[in-house]
Order: sequence, then C-alpha cells, then structure tokens
Amino acid sequence: MEIPYTVKPRPDTGLYNGKLGIWLFLASEVMLFGALFSSYVLLRVGAEDGTWSMGLMNITVGAGNTMVLIASSMFVVLAWAELKQGNLAGYKKWKWATIACAVLFLVVKWSYEWPQKFKHYDVWLNDAKLLHEKFEKGYQETVSHAEGGNHANDHGDAANGDVQKFVETFYTKRFFKETSDASQTAFKQEWANGTLAISGHINAYEEAQINVEVTGWNADAGASEADADRALVELGVSVEEAAEDLRKKGGLIKERIDYDWAKRAEYLLGQAGFKVTLSVAGYEKVEAHPWFWRTPRVNEDIGGNPRVRSIVLGLDHTHHHDEIEIETRHISRLSAYEPKHSTFFGIYYTITGLHAAHVFGGIIVMLYNMLPIGLALWHKDRERFTNRIETFGLFWHFVDLVWIFLFPILYIL
Amino acid sequence: MSDKAEVTQTQEAVEVHHGEHDEHHAQSFWRTYIFSTDHKIIGIQYGFCGLAFLFFGFCLVATMRWSMAYDGQAVPFIGPMLEAMLGSNVAPGGVMSAELYNVFGAMHGTIMVFMGIVPIAFAAFGNYVVPLQIGAVDMAFPRVNMASFWAFFLGCVVMTVSFFIPGGAAQAGWTSYSPLASMIPTDGQTYWLIGMVLLITSSLLGAVNFLVTIINMRAPGMTWLRLPFFVWVQFITAFLLLLAFPPLEAAGILQLMDRVLETSFFLPTGLVVGGQDVDVSGGGSPLLWQHLFWFLAHPEVYVLVLPGMGIVCEVIANNTRKPIWGYKFLVGSVVVLGFLAFIVWAHHMYMTGMGTVISAFFQTTTLIISIPSVIILTCLFISLWGGSIRFNTPMLFALAFLPMFGIGGLTGLPLGFNFSDVALHDSYYVIAHFHYVVAPGTIFAIFAGVYYWFPKMTGRRMSEYWGKVHFWLSLIFMNLIFLPMFAQGMAGMSRRMSDGGATYSLANPDNADITVGALSDTIMNLNVSISAAAWAMLVAQVPFIVNLFWSVKHGEKVESDNPWQATTLEWETPTPPPHGNFAKEIKVYRDPYEYSVPGAKKDFSPQAQPAK
Repeated sequence: MEIPYTVKPRPDTGLYNGKLGIWLFLASEVMLFGALFSSYVLLRVGAEDGTWSMGLMNITVGAGNTMVLIASSMFVVLAWAELKQGNLAGYKKWKWATIACAVLFLVVKWSYEWPQKFKHYDVWLNDAKLLHEKFEKGYQETVSHAEGGNHANDHGDAANGDVQKFVETFYTKRFFKETSDASQTAFKQEWANGTLAISGHINAYEEAQINVEVTGWNADAGASEADADRALVELGVSVEEAAEDLRKKGGLIKERIDYDWAKRAEYLLGQAGFKVTLSVAGYEKVEAHPWFWRTPRVNEDIGGNPRVRSIVLGLDHTHHHDEIEIETRHISRLSAYEPKHSTFFGIYYTITGLHAAHVFGGIIVMLYNMLPIGLALWHKDRERFTNRIETFGLFWHFVDLVWIFLFPILYIL
Repeated sequence: MSDKAEVTQTQEAVEVHHGEHDEHHAQSFWRTYIFSTDHKIIGIQYGFCGLAFLFFGFCLVATMRWSMAYDGQAVPFIGPMLEAMLGSNVAPGGVMSAELYNVFGAMHGTIMVFMGIVPIAFAAFGNYVVPLQIGAVDMAFPRVNMASFWAFFLGCVVMTVSFFIPGGAAQAGWTSYSPLASMIPTDGQTYWLIGMVLLITSSLLGAVNFLVTIINMRAPGMTWLRLPFFVWVQFITAFLLLLAFPPLEAAGILQLMDRVLETSFFLPTGLVVGGQDVDVSGGGSPLLWQHLFWFLAHPEVYVLVLPGMGIVCEVIANNTRKPIWGYKFLVGSVVVLGFLAFIVWAHHMYMTGMGTVISAFFQTTTLIISIPSVIILTCLFISLWGGSIRFNTPMLFALAFLPMFGIGGLTGLPLGFNFSDVALHDSYYVIAHFHYVVAPGTIFAIFAGVYYWFPKMTGRRMSEYWGKVHFWLSLIFMNLIFLPMFAQGMAGMSRRMSDGGATYSLANPDNADITVGALSDTIMNLNVSISAAAWAMLVAQVPFIVNLFWSVKHGEKVESDNPWQATTLEWETPTPPPHGNFAKEIKVYRDPYEYSVPGAKKDFSPQAQPAK
C-alpha cells in the first residue's frame, strides 16, 4: 500500500511528508529547549546575589566545540548535495566527516569537560583562621609569579589584608563578575566567619587501611558452620588451620585492606554469623581524582577514626594549582561540581546533557544511514533515501542551532 | 460510460491493488493485531486501553468517595483487597489511610487525563476516523504511529506498576507541585515522572503524525473548508499537544533531576524537611514548576474538550438532517481558541502572589478565550433549530453535551476573575466546574462517538435500548454527583481532604466556637449523597460495557456501509474498512454536511458524490 507524498512533494504545500514532519517535530523541540532556556533565565534572574557560579566554564574549549558542530552542519549539507547528484561515494565521505565531528564533540564533553567538573571540589572548613591560612598559600605563589595574580602590582607583602584583597577579587569573579557593594559585603562576611569555600581539584587523599577482625561466632544467627567456613574461604583464609579457632576465639581475618573491601568482608562475615570489628591500622596516601565525593564520605568513621584523614587539594586560585593538605576533621562540607552542587550546574548539566543526547541520537541515525541496513533504501528508491538524508540534515541543523544558543548563554554570559 | 464498464473498471482497480500487495497478505497474528501499523487497529488499541483506564480511574475515585462519606470505616469489598495488595500501613483493616487517599487522588487525575481521555478522544477516535474522513489510505507515518501507541502502553505500564512498589504511587496530586514532589521519599513519584515522559513522547509522535496527515494526505477535492469539523478539531488539538507538551517534558526532566540527582531547580534556599535543613544547593523556584506545568496543563484542557466538540458536531449534523449552522464560525473559533490557549495558563496561579499587572493580563486573556468556546457551543445549539431530529443514543449524548458543557463553561467564569477566584480556588467549586466540562462533557461526547462509529468498526449496531438506559442513568447520576459540589465549594470546602472535610465541619467538637467558615451539616451530608450517586454511576456503566462487548458478535447487523445515512467520507468505505480503507479512488465534490439539499433525491449528499 503506497502512502502518497512520501517522496514526491504535494503540489499545493510543496512538501513531502517527511519534510513537513521534521519541521513540526523541530517546532516541538524548540518548545522543549525553550522551556529549559526560560528556566535558566528565571533561575538566574531569581538567584540571590553571590549564589550564581560564573566564569567556571572553559570558553576556549566551548568555542572549539562550537566550531566543530558548525563544521559538521556544513558537512551534512555537502553529504546531501552529493546524494542529489547521485554520488554515493561523495555522500559517504561527507557523512563520515559529520559523524567524526559529532563524535569529537561528545568526546570533548564526556572525556574532558564534564569529568573536569566532577573532579573539581568546593571545600568548606570549620575554622576561619585555618581558612585564611590555606588561602594565603595560594596568594604567596601567585604574587611571586612573574605574570602574577592580578594583584602583583598592588601589594608587596603577605599581610592578611592583602591576601584578603586577592581572594576577594578571585571570589568576586566567580560569583559576581565585578566588584560591587553586594560583592564586597558578601565577601567580607564569608571571609570573616569562615564560610567561604576553598576550591580546587582533589589530587590525592589519605585513606584508612582497615583491619577486619572477628570477635566470635553466633551459632544462633541462622548460619551453619559450613556457611561460616565458606565465608572464610571466600575471603582467602584457609579453613583447615584456623576455622574452628576463629569461630571460638576470634582473630584477624584481613589486614590493611581498603574500605570497600572491608565493608564487603564485614557483610559476608556478618551473614555467616560472625561478630565483626573493623579498625584502622594506618593511613595510605592514594594518588587519585575522587569523583562525586560527598561530605558523608569524609565524615565516615571506623571505630572512631576517619575513613579519609586528609585531602590534597590543587588550588584553583594559584597559577600552577599548587597543592595544600587539609585534614578532614577541619572540613565541614565538600562538594564536587556535580548537578547537586549549585543551581547553575544543575541547569548546565541538564541542558548540555539533553543536547548531548540529541547529538548521540543523531550519530546513531547517521550510522544507520551509512551501514548496509540503511543503504538498502538507496538501492531501492534513490529519491526517498535522499529525502531521508535531507530530513536528517534539518534535524542536525537544529541540534547545531541549540548549541549556538547554549554556548554564549552558559559559557560567556 | 455505462454502469457495467464503471464496475469493471472499479474491479480492475481493486484487483490491481490486491495484486500489488499480495505479498503482504500473509502477515502473522502479531503483525496484524498487536504490532500493527494500520491506523484503524492502532485506534482500537488506544480505544480499549483508554476505556480500561477510564474505568480504572473511576474505580479509584469511587473508593475515595467512601473515605469522604464514611471516613474511618473499612471500605466494603475493596478494603480487604487493598490491604492484601498494598499493605497494612496504607490500608489498615481495609480503612483508607490519608496517604492512600492522596495516592488515589493523584493517580485518578493523572490516569483520567493522560491515560483515559487523551488516548480515547484524541488518539483512538482521531487515529480511526481522521484518515477515513479525509480520504487517506492511512496516516502519513504508520510506523511512527505504532511507536506512539507502544510508548503510550509503556507509560501506562510504568504508572500501573507504581501502585505496587513500596511506598506506593505518586501522591503529590496530578499537578505534582514542588517542593513536595521533589522531596517526597516514595519512589512512586519518580515512576510518575518516567511514566509522564513516556506518555508525552507518545503524544508528540502522535501529534506530528496527525498534522502531516491532515495537511498532506487529504484526498483530491478535500479543501480545508470542506473538512468535517471533527478533522479541524483534531488538527488544532494536535498543534496544542505538539507545542504545549514539551515544556512539561522539560519540567519533568528537571523534577526528575531534583529527585534523583538532588539538584534544586524547584527547591528554594533554606528548605527544612522534618526539622532538618536539607543538604542541597537551594536557589531554585517552586513557581518555576507551576509555570512550566500549567503552560502545558491549560492547553491540555482544550485537548480534552475539543475532540469532544468535534464528535458532537458530527453526530448533531447527522441526526438533525441539516448542515451545521456557522461552519466557518466553528472553524475560526477553534483556530483562535488554539492560539489563545497558550496565553491563559496563569489563571491557575492567581493565589501565588502575582502582581496586579500580570494578573490583569491573564484575566483578560482568560475572559477572551471564553468567546470562541461560546461561539462553538452557540453554533451547535443553533444547528438544532429546524432540524428533523432523530433521538438515537449517539444523539442523546450529543444533545446532553451541550447544556452540560454549558454549565461547566459558565461556572468557569468566576474562576477566571482573580477577585472571585480568591474564594473559590482549590475548593470543591473548581472540582465541580472542571468535571462538568470533562465528565458530562467530553465523556458524553466519547460515548456518543462510540455508539456512532461502532457500526462502521464492526458492521453491527449496539443495542439502542441499553444505550438509552446507559444514557439516562449516566445523565442523572452525573448531575447528582457534580451539581451539589458547587454548593460545597461555595461553602468553603477544600479539595483533597480525605475525611471529606470532617475536620472543618461544625459537627467536629473542636470547632464548637467557630461560627464562620465551618462546614454545615447540610454540606457535609452532601458527601454521602454524592458518593452514593458516584457508586450508582459506576453501576450504570455496566450496561455500556456489556453492550459494547456483546454487540461485537451479536449486535444487529447493519444493512449498508452507511447505516446512519451520513455525508462524511468514513461511510464510503467497506464495513469494516480493510487495509487501505477505500475500495476505489476517492474524490471530494461537496461540503461536509450537505443534508437536505433542495432538489436532491435523498436527504443527504455524501461528500464523494459528484455535484450535478
């Protein structure tokens, strides 16, 4: 059964079904992204002074990504033009170029931009004096640097007031864009009562090494002796030697293992009827970029000792991201730059995430139209296949257009 | 050309068609009836799903009505079932807890709107009838059509499953206002959001399909002003869905992120829950949710009512044997209504502390939008004048639609003005108003449509006798349910009270010294009569359900393809219409309602009949 106007345009409207359909779909997409942009405007305008993060986006990378998408839009048109001239090889060439651009865009987002944010932390200390001390470290380094912090010209020594001015400018740029009464008042308050966050990348941390001990075995816990033995075997303890001893008198099962391991051992042994104690044997510095750490993790304790004793923070406000060490007992709260971190980041991830989902969907469709499964239509009905590519091209241009709005609004303004 | 030659030509045409798609005929049961791309099958699938959920939604509120009339008493029959299925913390001893009442309330609204009325009025009737009425072979995108149904089905599954997860289904109202909806720990609220995203996707796909079909696939001669009014309303409804749903989808995504990723889009700074500060970034706006929600939800109410008006128009034209009065007024009004629908939404938000300028704007647009609605209703009323009226079951429902929708519409006026809305907002007056437009409004139109198009879909008529029983009982009970609610609302009874307002009643000893505002015994006693009427209404649907299923196999067979002697194109097809719909090429020569044309042989001239 032939559906009319699938390929040939209808004379009075001048459109074939697919083209009309995609334009209508794009109208709904305009409403979708429009609603998100409107939400952005409402949230930003309604945000209290000093609560909206600014200047944290890498404009160069964003601009680069913009160029990549614009190029891809060009390529998708060239691909369609080749098809119009009956040149399948030309189409494939330009389509691969489009796909390459789209993949590059996503790779930059997923492997660079977003992960950078997830490793980036704001740390709130519970001691104002300590806060000032930690900030000063950055100041010294920056002032001594030839190109220097913006204040190398104004100050000579590291008296507290000068650190303050330095931090004030840094802080203002991040939340206010320029100095004003509001920014000065806000800064002075937060500096004085120590509620200013220090920010940077957590490069390393001291993690507890945990001993897992069993102190006895409860025969009525619902697990048999065989279960208990099996649990021990699973944890690498040889059964013949120590099993019965362990059940009667207890003993050390695992030494100096990490938290997740220890928790798993605790669970397994608990299920097997053992009474388990965890204790901290010592601390080991781990070089890593923790992602999505939240405050509870640094506050967790094992037998009165913290799970994480200190963190090594590569400071934002210094030129070379110099590192300082902060003990977790001085941390009241920390947060990675994840969606939860601030409303700006919330909406940033939502809009760019939805956009990225559209880019990804586009890649899937493009691949479909490149592989034999999609190309079958070219061999069956050239014009219909060409129309399909035109329809996709319209969609792709829309995706590009959304980014062209996104970039200035989220990155620059 | 002799008749014989014509017939042979037609036969040849049919044979050619058959030859062309003989290869397709060997389709499995699954491809033909379950994963079908045929608009008629999809329409019926939507219809059955929608009717099932309409009934389920009604059962939810019937249970709620027990709690309102007899708070604290175990629900008969259903109570033990609830306790067994949902647990003793929500239904202890078969008594409905307040949480369960809220769950049922939220889901009643959601189910009736998104899984009941929209699928039936828009998707079911639209899918089945629109391609037939414009002379098309199918929808423009049959596979997208199928995808739209299955997305809808998935959405329904998610919503239904949410009842049975620990914590139960969503309970923050069908309006799902934040911060409650963002913070409430029950997973059901998250399921609701996921279900909504699926349902919205289904509607968007459906809307694109309808629009392209109506624009691009009209048969030769079917100009815009020859379209049956039913097609016009579906066209506008599709535009409303296309442009109004995405903001709710965006809002749904944002609320989902609030719940799952702990963002603060709708959470203000300094939120305290259970005595504790919430550890979120804050800085969000609960008002933002309301704006995004109502931006959809207002056009949504027009989505609910317009297809009903379309069905009523078809049935009235057919059963008065005269053209509809003011066809051009109808078309103009529905187009204007479509545009205006987008700029009135904040009349649902008068109580949010909006400024006088904005309030004046929305009051103005709200009052203006009543004009096209009144024009439509007036045209339909005037169409009755001088008609040769046949009082069959579809016509009875269509006739009842007119005053019922009229009451609903008129009672909306005090809600449109800020000064009077202050007293009536969130009261039972609002419930009465919107139920009048949707329940004895759209649902009656849906019934009319079912009785009217049933012969085309099955080749048999539904029983007229039981149809009339269904009609009279439904009409009486609908009014017994909703009319007293106006009084309750004006007396100050609030919505969403699981005890039916007992806490605020004069009968409550705690209120002994309150003289103004407490609910009188009369008002409270209405709860009992309303509930009784609701249960009677539920029972009154049994003849309809039995009639529907029984008539498929045992109804009186129709004597022709056009048993109602109608003019529109859907009656030109074989009965039931085969794949491809029409046996011959369709060309349109006439306006949609050429009944009783002076000088014509019969009292109706079908659109496909050449003009002399």
